[in-house]
Parts: sequence; C-alpha cells; structure tokens
Amino acid sequence: MLKYFSVGLIAQLLTNGVLFGTMYGIAAIGLSLIFGTMRIIFIAQGTMIIFLAYICYWLFTLFGIDPYLSLIIIVPLSLLLGMGFYQTLFKEAAALEDKNISLLIAVGLMFLMENLMTVIWTGNPRSILTTYTSLVFRPIGIDVTFTRLVALLLAVLSTVGVILFLKKTLIGMAVRAASEDMVSATLVGIGPHRVNAVAFAIGIGLAGVAGVSLAAIYPFDPFYGFIFVLKALISLALGGIGNVSGALLGGIILGLLESLASFFLSGGWSDAISYAVFLLVLMFKPEGLFVRSIQKA
Amino acid sequence: MDVLYGDVQAVWDLSIHVDEGMIVALVGANGAGKTTLLKTISGIVRAKRGEVLFSGKSLTKLRPQEVVDLGISYVPEGRRLFSTLTVLENLKLGAYPPRARPLFDKSLERAYGLFPLLKERKNQRAGSLSGGEQQMLAIARALMAIPDLLMLDEPSLGLSPLIVRAMFELICTLNIQKVTILLVEQNIHQALKIAHQAYVLKTGKIAMSGRGDELLANQEVQKAYIGERWSKPRTLSSPS
Amino acid sequence: MKDKRAVILACLVTIAFAIVPFFLDVSTSYLGYLLFLFFCYTIIAQGWNFVAGYTGQISMGQHAFFGLGAYTTAILWLHDITKTGYYFDPVTMFLSGLVPVILAIIVGIPLLSRLRGDYFALGTLGVGEIIKVVFVKGGAFTGASDGLHLPSTVFESMKPYYWTGLFLAFFATALVYFLTRSRVGLALRAIREDETSAASHGIHLLKYKIFAFAVGGFLAGLCGSLYGIYLFHINPDSVLKLDWTLYPILMCVIGGNGTIMGPVIGAFFMNALFAVTDIYLVQLHPIVAGILIILVMKFMPRGLIGLVDTIKSRR
Repeated sequence: MLKYFSVGLIAQLLTNGVLFGTMYGIAAIGLSLIFGTMRIIFIAQGTMIIFLAYICYWLFTLFGIDPYLSLIIIVPLSLLLGMGFYQTLFKEAAALEDKNISLLIAVGLMFLMENLMTVIWTGNPRSILTTYTSLVFRPIGIDVTFTRLVALLLAVLSTVGVILFLKKTLIGMAVRAASEDMVSATLVGIGPHRVNAVAFAIGIGLAGVAGVSLAAIYPFDPFYGFIFVLKALISLALGGIGNVSGALLGGIILGLLESLASFFLSGGWSDAISYAVFLLVLMFKPEGLFVRSIQKA
Repeated sequence: MDVLYGDVQAVWDLSIHVDEGMIVALVGANGAGKTTLLKTISGIVRAKRGEVLFSGKSLTKLRPQEVVDLGISYVPEGRRLFSTLTVLENLKLGAYPPRARPLFDKSLERAYGLFPLLKERKNQRAGSLSGGEQQMLAIARALMAIPDLLMLDEPSLGLSPLIVRAMFELICTLNIQKVTILLVEQNIHQALKIAHQAYVLKTGKIAMSGRGDELLANQEVQKAYIGERWSKPRTLSSPS
Repeated sequence: MKDKRAVILACLVTIAFAIVPFFLDVSTSYLGYLLFLFFCYTIIAQGWNFVAGYTGQISMGQHAFFGLGAYTTAILWLHDITKTGYYFDPVTMFLSGLVPVILAIIVGIPLLSRLRGDYFALGTLGVGEIIKVVFVKGGAFTGASDGLHLPSTVFESMKPYYWTGLFLAFFATALVYFLTRSRVGLALRAIREDETSAASHGIHLLKYKIFAFAVGGFLAGLCGSLYGIYLFHINPDSVLKLDWTLYPILMCVIGGNGTIMGPVIGAFFMNALFAVTDIYLVQLHPIVAGILIILVMKFMPRGLIGLVDTIKSRR
C-alpha cells in the first residue's frame, strides 16, 4: 500500500479530500436547515441530489446545455421543487408530534425517486463529459481537477449565500428564530409553514448545486443518493446541527478522512471508518465538533 | 375588549373579562391554570369548550401567529427570547406581523426610548444579557408588534427586587400609554397594587375577583397568599 | 372477548394457509413463492413492530440482523458445527437468531443509552452499513463479496420452506402477542408514552429497550436463516440490502404500527400488490412501495387497522 510516501502524495490526498468534501458540506447545510425548522432528518436529500444531477445530465445530452450553465435552470427548479414537496408531502406531517411520520414519508420519497430514476435512466452509471471535465491544473506539483475546483467554488458561494440570507433578510432571521424555538416564533407572528417551506426549498436548492457539481465530477447512479446522504449526515454530525459553516467544514473533514483512509486502507474499510466516526460523534459529541457557533442556521 | 373563556383540561369553566385600558391581574398558586389561560388566548393551546372573544372577534380557532396580528402579544414565562440572535434581530422579529411592519422604525424608537439599555446592546446576542435585561427585551419585542393587549406571564420571575420594582413601574407606564395589560404574577403584592381588576385562581377556577386594591386589603387573600411576610413581623432568628 | 375472537381467527387463518400446499404445488407455483415471501416479511415486520411500534424506537438496522442470521446459518452449515445433519436444523436456526441478539445487545447498549428517535435510527443505519463492510471484507470466512454457497442438491420441494415460514410467522406473531400482554409489554408501552415518568416508576429503561431491540433482532435473524437456506447463495448484496429493513417497516406501518395483526395485514397487502405490479414491470414495485408509504403516512398514519378503527368509531 505504501509504495512511496511523499509530501506531494499527502498534499494530493488532502486536496482531493477537501475538494470532494465540499459537496458533502452543502448537502449537509440543506439537511441542517430542514432539521432546524422541521426537526426531521430528510433522508431523501442524497436522492434529490442525484435526481438533479440526472436533470443536469438530461439538459446536457438532450439540449447540449453546459452543466455549469444549467445551474441557471436547475437552481430555481430545485427551489420550486423544494417548495412543492413541502406543500404536498410534509406540510401536515411537520405539524404533528410524531416526527417518525415525516421520516417515513422521506423514506418513501427516497424509495420512489430512486426507482423512478432507475426506470427512466436505467441503473447504469451516467456521467457528463465536456471539454473541461478532464482538465487538470498542476500548481506546485499537485493535480487539481478543474471540476472539483469549481465544486469548491460553488460550495463556498452557496454557503456564503445561505449565511447572508439567514443574517440579512427578515425571513432568514425568522428561519433562525424558528429553528431555535418554534413556539416563541409563532408568538411573534412567524408562521411555521412559511419558514418550513423556505428552509425546505433552500435545502433542495443546495441539493441542486451539489447535483450539478457531482454530475461534472463523478459518474452517478440512482442508488448513490443513499450513500451520499449518509455521508452528508456524517458531515452534519461533525459540524453540529444548526451551524452552517460548521456543516461545510464537517463535509471537508469527512472528505479528508475518506481520501486518506481509502488510500491507506482499501475502499470498503474507509466507509466503515466513516460510519464508525459517525456513530462516535453521535454518541459522544452530538452537538458537533465546533461547539462555538460561527453562524446558526 | 373582552376576553371570555371556557374550559380546558387545566381550567374549568373559567370566565374572565378584560376591559380596554385596564391592568388585569391573574394571581394564584402554581398550577392554578393561569399560564394555561394565557396560552389559550394566544392560540398555543386549544380550548375544549368556550370562546375567546377580542373586541367582538372570536379567537378560538386562530393560530398563534394570527392572534399576534390581531393585536395580542404574549410574553411567556421564562421570556423565551431567541438567544442566538442579537437584541436588534429579536426586536426586528417582534415587528414581523404585517400590521406592525410599516411602523417598524417608530416602534423601534419607542422601544429604545423605554429601554435605553437595549439600544446600547443592540448587537449583542440576546442570550448574553442579564435576567433583567432579557425581561426588558422580551417586553420590548412584544411591544414591537404594536399590541392592544399585552399579556405578561410571570415577568418578575428570577429578578432582583430593585428590577422588579422598575418592571412594575414600566407596566404602569405602558398602561398609561394605552396598552391593556393582562398580568399573571406570583408576586401578588405588587400585582394587586397596580391592577385595576384582579382574579384569584385556584386549581383552575376563579376563587375571587374584584378590584386590585380591594383584594389586596382582603383578609383571606392576605393570609392565603401574601402570607407571613406582611402579617407577622420578621424576627432576627427566623430563616428567610 | 374481542381478543379471544381474534386469536381464534388467527389460528383458523394459519390452518388455512397450512393446508394450501395440499391443493397447490407450492414448488412450482408463483403463489407458493409469494406466500413464502409473505411469511418471511411478516416475521421481520413483527420484530420491527415490537421495537418501533411498542417502544417508539425506530430501528433502521434490521437488515443487519437479517444478514447476520443468514451468514450464521451458512457458516454453521458449511463448517458442520452443529452436526445434526438435518437440513432444516432448528438448532442452527435458533443459533442464527441468537447471534443477532448478541449484536443487538452489544450495539444496543451504547446506542440506546445515548441516542433518541431520529438519532437512534441513524445510528442503526450506520451499524447496518458497517456490518455490510465487515462481511464483504471477511475474506474466506464470509466469502467476501461473492458470499457463501450452500449445497443446492438438498432442495427437493418448497413445502418445508413454506411450512417453516408459516410456522415462524405464526410464532413471531404469537411471541409479540404474548410479550405485549405481559409485564414486559406494559413496561414498554409506558416507555413509549413517557420515558421520564416510566423511569421514575422504577422501570429500568435501558434493559427494556435492549430487550425489545434484541427480540427484533432475533426474529430478523430467524428469518434471515430461513431465507438463507432458501437462497443457497448468501452474499452481501442479497441479504444485507436495505430493502430488508425498509419493506418490513413499510408493511408494518401500512398495516398498523403497534398492533398485533398490523404487520400481518400489511405484509399480505403489500406482497399482493407487488405480485400484481410485477406482472407489468419488476422495477415498479419499489416505486409503488414508495408512493404507498407516502400516501399512507399522509392519510392514514395509523395504517389499515387504524383506518378500520376510525371507521368503526364514526358509526
């Protein structure tokens, strides 16, 4: 396994890890927003990401639209989709005491989407190849894939966007308030359905960004979504629920962990380690690794 | 305006009346149903039977955020501020209901006028304020919604006597500024002093009602609730 | 007296199912296979029902227990450990149920003592995934990703599978029935209603939660064992897939969580539905499952049994 051990190699692994991890990060931010307001773990987030990746793929193969350009279509589409899903699926369930019902609806949605995608696009992995998908830069001897760099950029932009939204807009403040204490929020006049829908829409919007990033980097198949959401959950656990930049950092840490582990150990074990870390964090540090909150979602 | 009431698990066949411009106090031991009553009016809890009428309008089926927009603000027990948000953000959210938003600037001025301290600390996280400051913020936030009726649940809880006195002075000031007040208090003495009208609740029912000063002077009330402090002189050896 | 009638009905139904192989050639008929699946899912669903319906802890790790049961059976058989020589060895099956119990206890102690609700569900999910990796990496002992093979020459007919499946399904239902009516069941329901109050009455929360979790694991393991023997080829993809957790959950929920007959009805209904959709397109059935669970959760969260109750109380 350790054929050669050099700083360059480590730097490469770290870079890859960071770049890939940002996608886990934005998925995690979406989960955090949804959990903050609705108190459910939206287990279908990964599947949504894959679905939007497929849409990106479709736009590319049917209309020749460049993936990054397709963001113009996909982001509004995912925001609308999020709003739509909330209204049709989760609205009544969110008001119930028993959060398991919402969880099960999310499970049902995941199942539904996964298999719908299999019917439409078959189970074979798809990927997008453009002129730049194999473009690689080589600053200081490390390979930096262009698409991964763009993914990082998109992730950072999205995170900043979300933070600004939460900080500067009234509805964003309302989302933060509702995430902290929904009952008190209603007492100042904030309608729970309004904030839930907004949080959910943004969550899916972020899934859209992640989906496009993913589509340009890796081949994907309908069932990858579940694995992805587990990773997003791990990132969320690491970063601490309610902490937007923490979620991004959590994703990056996970990316690093995976990158290193899958190099020094074989692929399967790196997954097991990720899950083990997940369990440990859930049990011993459920508020996340970054206890001091940088920004609350 | 009237607030009439009916029954709910913790409250049995209760009826109270709050007239416009008055301070009405609800006193009684813990668990007597006072908070439940306020919760029902604000819409957090639903009454099994009975009606809540506000200036002729029925509030019974409304949700809390709708009740706020009609002019009733509720400051719950324990304040329940948004501790991770700043003072200013809390105040901004206070003016969230549509009826209050256009008047935000004016309301903010008024709030700063009443509580200059809040202006100083406007960018501080609400959770980092002291107990008294938090209570002030909670009331200020409720005022941002420009309520006609302000409901306060145990505002003096956990505060030092000096601040409590300032609190009650503030309540009177607000009342003079045309805010009707429905007050739930453990501190019976202070509450009855400022109340125009008061109800004494016991295990979900009204035990007594009348004008504030009358009830204060009432022997039974004194013995049952105000207790040792005012009826017996303190001796050096008594623990307190 | 409603109880007595229900019990008699259940016994009659079981007997009815038992006679089926005399009229139908279960080995070749599709119906026989379907019924077998129905029994299998009932077993796992009852296990999940007990954990989730009666204690309120949603476990998403049943597939780990199921797979563990299947692998245990395969390993015991291949290394001829129990040396009983029977193919349908009750000892092997029992042990295959027991191994998951051990896992349940090992995993349950940290998970159940620290995690609640959603977090617990996630934790069990994580455990399931870890188990999958362990089995894939197990080398020759677990056959890695190819899995283990049992001699298929022993398969003569479907009948023993059918009857064993029926028996286990009946056993699972009866077990849950008796447990819920016992002191244990009472304690569990108290825990579901209000944990703090239950604890203050002296109910040792962790002990009971682990017990429920272990029962769920035991039943899943038994079923895994049975299915493993049926399948002959036990590999991670077939016995450790999430479907083995999700479908029983769906069936339980559709039928009615927290009831005795709920899982049975749900399992029956869903398998019937799958049978119908399979005629058109095999992929359709998970899609249908997904739609179904959404609809059920939205409109009748208490499942079919809840619906019946609601209709009855409206009259």
